[in-house]
Amino acid sequence: MWLVVVPCVVQAKQLAIVTDTANTTTNLTTSDLVKIFNAHTRSWPDGRSITIVVRDPSSADMQLVLRKLFGMSQDQAHAFIQAHKNAITIAESDDEVIHLVSSTRGAVGVVDLYSLTKDVNVLKIDGKLPVEQGYLLRGN
Amino acid sequence: MLRTHVIVKTAIRSATLLGTVFVLLFVAAVANGQQSTLAQPDSPWTTLPLTSKSPEAQRLVVEAMRVGLDLVEQEQSDVMFRQAIKLDPDFAMAHELLAQNSLDPAEEVAENAKALALKNHASPAERLVIEWWQDATDHKLISAITKMNDVLSQYPHDKWIIFMATNWLTTQTQYERAIAVYERSGIIDSPGLMNNMGYCYAYMREFDKALTLMDKYVASMPKDANPQDSYAEILRLAGSFDKSLEHYRAALAIDPQFYSSQFGIADTYSLMGDQVRARQEYEIGFQKFPMPELHQVQWKTREAETFIREGDLKGADHAFQAIADDAHSKHMSQLEADTYRQMAMYQPDPKQALMFVSKAEAALKDGRNSMPASIHQEQAQILRVRVEIAVKTGNRQTVNTVLARLDEMSSSSTDRLIDTAYHGAAGAALFSQHKYDEAISHLEEDKNNPLSLKLLASAYQKIRYSAGAKRTSETLANLNDPTLEQAMVVLPFRKCYEDPSCSGNVKAVSLKK
Repeated sequence: MWLVVVPCVVQAKQLAIVTDTANTTTNLTTSDLVKIFNAHTRSWPDGRSITIVVRDPSSADMQLVLRKLFGMSQDQAHAFIQAHKNAITIAESDDEVIHLVSSTRGAVGVVDLYSLTKDVNVLKIDGKLPVEQGYLLRGN
Repeated sequence: MLRTHVIVKTAIRSATLLGTVFVLLFVAAVANGQQSTLAQPDSPWTTLPLTSKSPEAQRLVVEAMRVGLDLVEQEQSDVMFRQAIKLDPDFAMAHELLAQNSLDPAEEVAENAKALALKNHASPAERLVIEWWQDATDHKLISAITKMNDVLSQYPHDKWIIFMATNWLTTQTQYERAIAVYERSGIIDSPGLMNNMGYCYAYMREFDKALTLMDKYVASMPKDANPQDSYAEILRLAGSFDKSLEHYRAALAIDPQFYSSQFGIADTYSLMGDQVRARQEYEIGFQKFPMPELHQVQWKTREAETFIREGDLKGADHAFQAIADDAHSKHMSQLEADTYRQMAMYQPDPKQALMFVSKAEAALKDGRNSMPASIHQEQAQILRVRVEIAVKTGNRQTVNTVLARLDEMSSSSTDRLIDTAYHGAAGAALFSQHKYDEAISHLEEDKNNPLSLKLLASAYQKIRYSAGAKRTSETLANLNDPTLEQAMVVLPFRKCYEDPSCSGNVKAVSLKK
């Protein structure tokens, strides 16, 4: 009899960048997004301040974000968030990210694609939506 | 067949698992000829309304969902849906449910169109559900997700909505999300959901949790065959074949007409390596039980795979050809195409393989009684096979041309199956060109397919990522889904493990006998 070693088949993640529905931005380049998440860009083109809402850097979904947007390790990200408390908010769950983003003008967050609701807008990255080939925030 | 491609057994009963929530519903008194909605006054939770001008039609739909979800009597519930539609042809939700539940591809297509056309007769909540499923069918993924979550936020404890959501998420291979939706619902007494979630945990390869849920499921319905049948299938996925057979037999002892278990026994013998016994068990099933065409084709295909498992390709050709001929005679174009596509996959001679690919394409062009989404999915899968054949023959030009077509299909669609077909094909092409890093990024997108898993393990090995190679090899070696890809890839992989003269990264994996 074959016994299973319990290797987990992990599916490639697809993460969405979301903003509040009043935000008129629909597309960002990778470079723009990296600048936002590294707190180099602090306001939207219309002048509203940017609030970043993300999950805890140690959560599974955040590994892709750390690698592709922050360019930091978990420890570095923790320290970075501590140092930028005014601009970055940590949420406990994707639902909380959606809630905080939808209720905070100028907020931008990252959620799993399958958590999306009508309360937020989904931004394209380099002209691509999460479901499209070559989308930045897709992978393991 | 595509509808059952992602979830083998759940698809059989998935659509059947509708409606536990409505057990408690009552039929509201309604004035003759007026639209009314069904309410649930005794429940502390809001549930989805059902709008119809006929109280009897409403009652039938509620009962159909109860029978489908709790008793796993899919055909019986379909009969009830049809009766309800006869009483109220404008009952949009009844059309939608029949479309989702039907085992007849032509009926599925027709009912889907009717549900959409009649959605304005339904309540806003029902319309949202119909649109969610329509978006899913049309591959408008973001819109479908948004609508699903909207419905879930309105009815977070409605067992039927939770069932629909978890079932759809499962077909999207979003097992974690499906489990999260289920756990958040707080519903712990729904046998149908226990069943579905047991499968989700099993697909996550969390067998302890899956089997714990199966224990509860069996305890909740001790006189029902399906819990034993599901228990058996999950044990089989876990590789516990002997125990699996015991549970299948227990299911048949409870209900000798529960033919899924008879075929489960056959599938299990096939996975155990006893193909002669497997075919005997399939034949018992075919002779003993009348069943819908879709089920017939599914198990005839499994029976044909037994020949692949014992290396008898002529026997396989004969068996698969009979299925294709039967599908052709019944105007089931996509099933015919899918059968020819599978024949192409295992042919050692590329010329033969291409001949079957052409037959698959011709059948698909016919396109009778097939949903447009299924046709696109099949087309993508056929193109993938074309790429794989071209890779084998070293025809770089064909690889590039066909891959470009697949790329275009994938780029213009949000269908997971089309996407994985592209990634699997691209991964195979890049692997053959020794571009391992690039191949890995594609193959990782197709992790449920043994063909890609095998290449992925090798690609990891090539870039000296030993932990990844070992983990992937373990996953591959322990796959116990009775599919053609499993027969083609996993069995030789295991044989290599047992053969001291065979080399390869499979030696690094932990298999126990």
